[in-house]
Amino acid sequence: MANVKGSSVCRTAVDEGKPADWIPGGEKQTVVDPMKMFHELPREKLFITGSEAARESMRRANIDIAIAYPITPQSESMQQAGYLYDEGYIKEYYRAEEEIGTFSAISGASRAGVRSLTATSGPGLMRGMEAISSWPGARTPIIMLNMCRVINTPLAIQPDNIEMSFMLNTGILLLHAENQQDFYDYPLAAICASEQVDVTLPAVVSVDGFFCTHARGPVEITPEEYKLPPRDGWRSAVPAMDNENPPARISRDAPIQKSNFISYHMHSSWQQEVFAAVERSAKYFRDYLGGLVEVVNPGAEDFIIASGCAVSQAREAIRQEGENGRKVGLVKVKTIRPFPTEEILDAVKGAKRILIPEFNQAGWLHKEVCSVLYGRCNAVIKDGPRVFGGMTMPTEMILEWLEEFRKEVK
Amino acid sequence: MIIQDNLFLTRANPSGQGGFQFLYRVNDYGLSALSGPQEEISMIHWEVEIIKFTDSKTAGFETCHTTELANKTLKFYTDKSLNEFIQKAFQYFEELNSLEKMLPDET
Repeated sequence: MANVKGSSVCRTAVDEGKPADWIPGGEKQTVVDPMKMFHELPREKLFITGSEAARESMRRANIDIAIAYPITPQSESMQQAGYLYDEGYIKEYYRAEEEIGTFSAISGASRAGVRSLTATSGPGLMRGMEAISSWPGARTPIIMLNMCRVINTPLAIQPDNIEMSFMLNTGILLLHAENQQDFYDYPLAAICASEQVDVTLPAVVSVDGFFCTHARGPVEITPEEYKLPPRDGWRSAVPAMDNENPPARISRDAPIQKSNFISYHMHSSWQQEVFAAVERSAKYFRDYLGGLVEVVNPGAEDFIIASGCAVSQAREAIRQEGENGRKVGLVKVKTIRPFPTEEILDAVKGAKRILIPEFNQAGWLHKEVCSVLYGRCNAVIKDGPRVFGGMTMPTEMILEWLEEFRKEVK
Repeated sequence: MIIQDNLFLTRANPSGQGGFQFLYRVNDYGLSALSGPQEEISMIHWEVEIIKFTDSKTAGFETCHTTELANKTLKFYTDKSLNEFIQKAFQYFEELNSLEKMLPDET
């Protein structure tokens, strides 16, 4: 929607039907160094839903454009994004026609060099997967919030994070939030990492829908008068497109699309570079998040490795084990891509038993862990407990599995 | 934010259904305040139980429906009303502790 000056992003009070002295909220904020935002600014503790935590994260993220198509349980967060647009914290925002359109449009926005945000859930992610899988190769820094839900038939809207497995090998940076606090912190960190010159990749922050998005939790947030620095579209591995002089064809490198021997090699190199960039992002996440993993009770013989909501359930399980005099370790995996191979190896080097609880049928985290620990760790790795289709994972379930595991592996 | 005094434990809802549980403790008594997910966010509320701890150090407890504070699970739809109840409960627990100390030791 263009304003009276013909610009598509410069909003005026007249355009918005606001009082003449209205100033967009984002223009009243002060840019702050990301490391200062993450580690030094004072924080206020609130008790808010995951969707509201996402809103407060977006408020501080200096978002230029948001595009989304509503789907449960993502809709609450993007409704909150609408409030931010109204208040002037997000410069442009519209509802696209559906997910393929959404994810194609947000790719175009990112190619134009602006900070671009979208969000989806389960089936929406599946519908837009063709466009999503093209983002890394196009070297488009995009932030996508992914509120996980069941994707398969019969239809359900309950939490299940199987959809994350579809993004593991796309070249996307993938984080898994445990709770509302993470859903505030991780998007800000993901934006900063994804826009680094030596990364220049899209980032997805997944969270288990409903359990986090539609429930309240304690969240410590930085003052709203501070925001991240804006994206500098020219400071990228692949420069932003000059939309005043758009190219005749928008492929990043047209020769790659030809079918000949050289093009295959070029495509191969291009892919290698994408996945190398994923690994290079690790150093930024270590700085922003204080590590790719969190380790509780290091040195234990029994370990749980988990991500997302399963971490919270495991946290309580190991607390109860502690009350009974048994030390059980926990590795919380914050970043699924880049995968924290060395951190996990280091954490579980003395372990005898490793349990991997998950909220999905496939056990994708178990497969990931097995692939990096194979031949490098003496522990027995057990795949479970697993719940899916919206099932819950009571703490007792993890405790029972631990007890059985101890009987199986002495 | 809800009252942080006498907060014994904050944990994810142990039932696994999402949300958080706050356990408050004053001597042997306390209360559990649980806030879980709701499909309609406006319907998010607190479910509160008066509890009696079964151990002096751990978080083990039993639901207690025999005090004058409540004989059933209570629901609060705002933090303000919950905070008011928590304050009242703390005072009650202190008084209850004093009264129970005056009882003869049956053991």
